[in-house]
Amino acid sequence: MSSTSKKSDPPAPGDTVSFGFKTVAEGDRQGLVNDIFSAVAGRYDLMNDLMSGGLHRLWKDDVIGWLAPPRSAQAFRLLDVAGGTGDLTERFLRVGGPGCTATLFDINPEMLAAGRKRLAGAGLAERVAFAIGNAEALPFPDKSFDAYTIGFGIRNVTHIDKALSEAYRVLKTGGRFLCIEFSRCEVPLLDRVYDFHSFEVIPRLGQLTAGNAEAYRYLVESIRKFPKQETFAGMIGAAGFSRAAYRNLTGGIAAIHSGWRL
Amino acid sequence: MADTPAQAEPSRRADPRVLEMLVCPLTKTALIYDEARQELISRAARLAYPIRDGIPVMLPEEARALDDDELRHLGKK
Repeated sequence: MSSTSKKSDPPAPGDTVSFGFKTVAEGDRQGLVNDIFSAVAGRYDLMNDLMSGGLHRLWKDDVIGWLAPPRSAQAFRLLDVAGGTGDLTERFLRVGGPGCTATLFDINPEMLAAGRKRLAGAGLAERVAFAIGNAEALPFPDKSFDAYTIGFGIRNVTHIDKALSEAYRVLKTGGRFLCIEFSRCEVPLLDRVYDFHSFEVIPRLGQLTAGNAEAYRYLVESIRKFPKQETFAGMIGAAGFSRAAYRNLTGGIAAIHSGWRL
Repeated sequence: MADTPAQAEPSRRADPRVLEMLVCPLTKTALIYDEARQELISRAARLAYPIRDGIPVMLPEEARALDDDELRHLGKK
C-alpha cells in the first residue's frame, strides 16, 4: 500500500507543510515535532493541567466513556496511538474489565518512557504493551484491534489521511475509531477568551513551567491549523469509516470524533 | 545501554507478547526476533529494527540496513 514513508521515496525538495504558522520542508516536520515533545516530556502532564485548568482530564474521561469498553472478562484490545504518557490507556484499563488490554504507541521515546513509568506505578503495566513508531505506518497486522484511540496526537501527524487509513486497516470489522483533538470553539465570547488564553497565556506558561515558550507556541498554532469539526469528520469518512460523528467539549475547544469499521 | 544487548536486564528485554503482534511497518510482513542483538528483522524490507530498553523501535529511519550476507545467514537459521 502507499501509506508508508520510505526513506527511498522522499518528498520532492520543494514540498512544504505547515509547522504551526511556519512552513517547513515536509521531511523535517516530524523531527521538529519530536524535538518539542522530547523537550517537554517530563512536564507534559503538569502543563496540560495548567493550560486547560484540569479540563483535559474530564475530556479524556469522555473519550473512554464514549468508547464504553466491556467490563466483563471479554477480550478487548485497544491501540492507543500517540498515547505518550498514557492518559487514555490508564483510563481505559481502569474502566474496562480484566479482558481489556492496550498497546501504548508513540513516535517519541521520552513520552513513551514517561507512560511506561506511570502505568507501572499504577500497577497496570501487565496489561500494556509498548512500541515506538509512526502513526502513518503502523507495525501491526490488518484487523488486529477492537479499538483505536488517538488523543491530542493527530494534529502532530504530517499526513493525517495516511494515519486515518492505517487506523482503518488495523481495526477489526466492528472496530471503533476515537480521536480527541483541539477543535474550533463555536461559542461567542468564549472564543475570545480562548484566543487570549491561547496566544498570550499558554506560551508564557510554557516558558515558566517547561522553560520552552517556543514549544507551546507551536502547540497553539498547530491547533489553529487543524481542520474544523465537520471537515475532519469528512476525512474520517473518506478513510473508509462508517457513521463518522463528533461531540464538542467545552464549546468546541476540543472535540471527540468517532467512526466505525463496518 | 542499547548497544550492549548482552547485558540487558531481564526486565528491559522485549516483552514477547509485544513481539508476537508486530509486523514490519513498511511491508506489513512477519518479523524475525534476534534475541541476542535485540533486533526485529524484516527480510522483506531488508531492515533490522532495534529494541531499546525493551521497547521495539518500529521506525525505518532508526533501523539498520541488512546486506546480502546477513540475509543469507538468516535463511539458514
